[in-house]
Amino acid sequence: MSSKKRFLLSTLPVLGMLCGIPAAAETLNVQITADIRSSRPGVNRDALSDSVALNVGEGLVAFGERGQIVPMLAEDWTVSDDGRVYTFTLREDRLFHNGAPLTAEIVKQSWEALMAAPDFTCNIYFNGNRGSAVERIEAPDARTVIFTLAEPDAMFLKNSAQSLCGGMAIMHADSFDGDGNWKGPVGTGPFVFDEWKRGQSIHLTKFAEYVPVGEGIDGYGGRKEVLVDDVNLIVTPDRATAVAALRSGDLDIVPYLSTSEAGELTENPNFQVHAAPHGGMITLLMQTADPVLSSTEMRHAIAKSLNIPELVDVATNGLGEANASLVPIGSVYHGEVQERAIDYAPEEVSALLKAAGYSGQELVIQTNRRNPINENVAVIAQSMLQAQGIRARIEVLEWATQLDRFRNGNFQLSAFNYSNRSDPALAYSAVVASKEDRGSAIWDDPEAIELVEKTFQTPDGEERQALFDALHELYLEQMPFVMLANNLDVSVSASYVQNYRTWNGFTRLWGVSLDR
Amino acid sequence: MMRFVLSRLITAIPTLFLVSLAVFTLIRLIPGDPVSLMLGDNVDEQAYAAMSQQLGLDRPIAMQFLIWLKALFSGDLGHSITTGEAVLPLVLHRFGISAQLVLVAVAISTVIAVPLGMVAAWRQNSSFDLSVVVGATMLMSIPTFWMGLMLLLYFGLNLSWLPVIGYVSPAEDFWAGLIYLIMPVAALVLHETGILVRMVRSSTLDVLRLDYVTHARAKGLTEGEVLRHHVLRNAFGPTWTLLGLILGNLLGGVAVVETVFTIPGLGRLIVESIYGRDYPLLQGCLLFVAITYVVVNLIVDLCYPIFDPRVKSV
Repeated sequence: MSSKKRFLLSTLPVLGMLCGIPAAAETLNVQITADIRSSRPGVNRDALSDSVALNVGEGLVAFGERGQIVPMLAEDWTVSDDGRVYTFTLREDRLFHNGAPLTAEIVKQSWEALMAAPDFTCNIYFNGNRGSAVERIEAPDARTVIFTLAEPDAMFLKNSAQSLCGGMAIMHADSFDGDGNWKGPVGTGPFVFDEWKRGQSIHLTKFAEYVPVGEGIDGYGGRKEVLVDDVNLIVTPDRATAVAALRSGDLDIVPYLSTSEAGELTENPNFQVHAAPHGGMITLLMQTADPVLSSTEMRHAIAKSLNIPELVDVATNGLGEANASLVPIGSVYHGEVQERAIDYAPEEVSALLKAAGYSGQELVIQTNRRNPINENVAVIAQSMLQAQGIRARIEVLEWATQLDRFRNGNFQLSAFNYSNRSDPALAYSAVVASKEDRGSAIWDDPEAIELVEKTFQTPDGEERQALFDALHELYLEQMPFVMLANNLDVSVSASYVQNYRTWNGFTRLWGVSLDR
Repeated sequence: MMRFVLSRLITAIPTLFLVSLAVFTLIRLIPGDPVSLMLGDNVDEQAYAAMSQQLGLDRPIAMQFLIWLKALFSGDLGHSITTGEAVLPLVLHRFGISAQLVLVAVAISTVIAVPLGMVAAWRQNSSFDLSVVVGATMLMSIPTFWMGLMLLLYFGLNLSWLPVIGYVSPAEDFWAGLIYLIMPVAALVLHETGILVRMVRSSTLDVLRLDYVTHARAKGLTEGEVLRHHVLRNAFGPTWTLLGLILGNLLGGVAVVETVFTIPGLGRLIVESIYGRDYPLLQGCLLFVAITYVVVNLIVDLCYPIFDPRVKSV
């Protein structure tokens, strides 16, 4: 563009203001890789549906940036001495998108409706299966909500803040039609769910009556100030098309990009690439029930054959950081103990292989191409294992097939990613269990199972830290799988987009502005 | 004529039954199921069992098939597991989007390919013929996704003439819809033109060698008259058959083009339903595609007499 044209264009908004022409709406165009499954938080959901739901709705509490619980619609809360009764005091100034004020009765109705929904993903956390059952919810006055649990549950607040539960967002009764069928979300969040063109786009508008609270952006909570007029989430399944659209200005933000594609854009001044670890886990799973891999020495031989920092660096195109612990790097529970790892020690491998009785059996590493990091991990691990005399073959599977094998424990080695876990206890519970009870269990050890159980019952603090430390020491001793790194949020935005970062796999749209 | 149509429709019934049976069985033989995908790595056996029961996936496959077939006879293709939408309206809506794209593209391809192929055959071995053959071979060899990406990069990114992503239905806003259709239509036109040109040229060459063409020329008719009145109708028969196959094939969804250009058509719906193991949706889509194929080819057969009088007499 010539400098003359640029000058003329730059003067247009000023001329517009002088002539009384309203300024053009600031619209943020954001890629969404597939359509959402539903608009109801926590019901028939996936990660993309959660992302939209959490911009529209809010729960009583939310996860903060470091995995701590922060207030949201509840101003504060108390827990009874026996740990069974949670009493929340609601904020006074909260409004729903239809203008109705937030009341304790609406909170009660919203929770009860969600828990009664047959396809509510998080039922297990509130029906006594994985967390304590919610016995009753009461609304003694307009600002007080009381939850009584069947038994004490230190995870109650964390479970209710989970993204897969839609943060237990409070929805007004207007979200349903006269027959009780879901119509669309009427929440209290900073964005209004305006229009959903299935397979095409989702349109969110700024909720003008929203009153931001808090000092700064803090996870799903904190200050939610909307700095654009509206947001178009445009379904763009093809990555190459999304990058082309970002280059052409049809998209402002691509929230999820592979590390290799992001790497290509890092040096380009027209784009901002952000990569940060979240609570998801990049792992090399080992089937401990397999005849070869049931030996602890064999598993240690595999771990010591892998130069993990180098593997992570190459597999993530230099954007990732090795983490030997299931406690995410950003968590308040990630301390010195979690920094300990099984070091790369090729000189020890042959003795370990001998002790394990390994006689050259071929190991199969399952992986997929849906997530390029998984494929990279498989390829690099194969090469590193073979360098130490461990025969390995790669089997590339379609994601649904690999997931099916994972669910049934039908693998030897598997380059596998766990999705984001907002609390370390949830990360451990994903891998620690009895293989008899759960085919997908990776670490079947009574001591580990007991420790994980305790992390669910112990409130935040030093005692809980000690439990996570003990779990990590036990993991290093038994090496039931290889934890490589935390998964990454890699986002790319145009240079004129201010303050956007994908956080914990979540497209956080508040606080983002455009400076074209 | 009526008897012919009826017999064709009746013979289509076992075909459609076999297609539905094959689709129903094959998708369930692939590892992975919708419940596993919904739960992801957050596996809980109790939740898995409950969700499977709710979706009726815990029943024997034969029973599931009979239930689906029974509902099918009452015009109910079920509901999508992924979105909960009714399958039939969803498939019809997405088919409408694919159809407008495909019909426009095939019509333009035909208009370009028929005269081009005929002239190339008429001028066989000339430099024009050679360039048409080389051009057509190149066009049909280039994958549509690559063609699409090149169009996107050039017209969308470099020149900024056309939008790179998004879709507007021409029914909502005709001109905006047209703009969004230009590049996907162009990608399809380029590819299909290559195929059609080759066919038209080849069948025209066959006809040009026949005695009656020599006779027509001997009568003193101009080359234009010979081509228009004697060669075109006879040479168009094989092309018409090919057009039927192309239409049937493309109307079943142009998944790659739809994915590259973010068009919410039937092809993308099929791909998404396979990845999501959305059994009812996939069954509905593929059955619909099979019906489309049968109907399109029936229409093609019925139109034969227009181009070739010999078919009418038969």
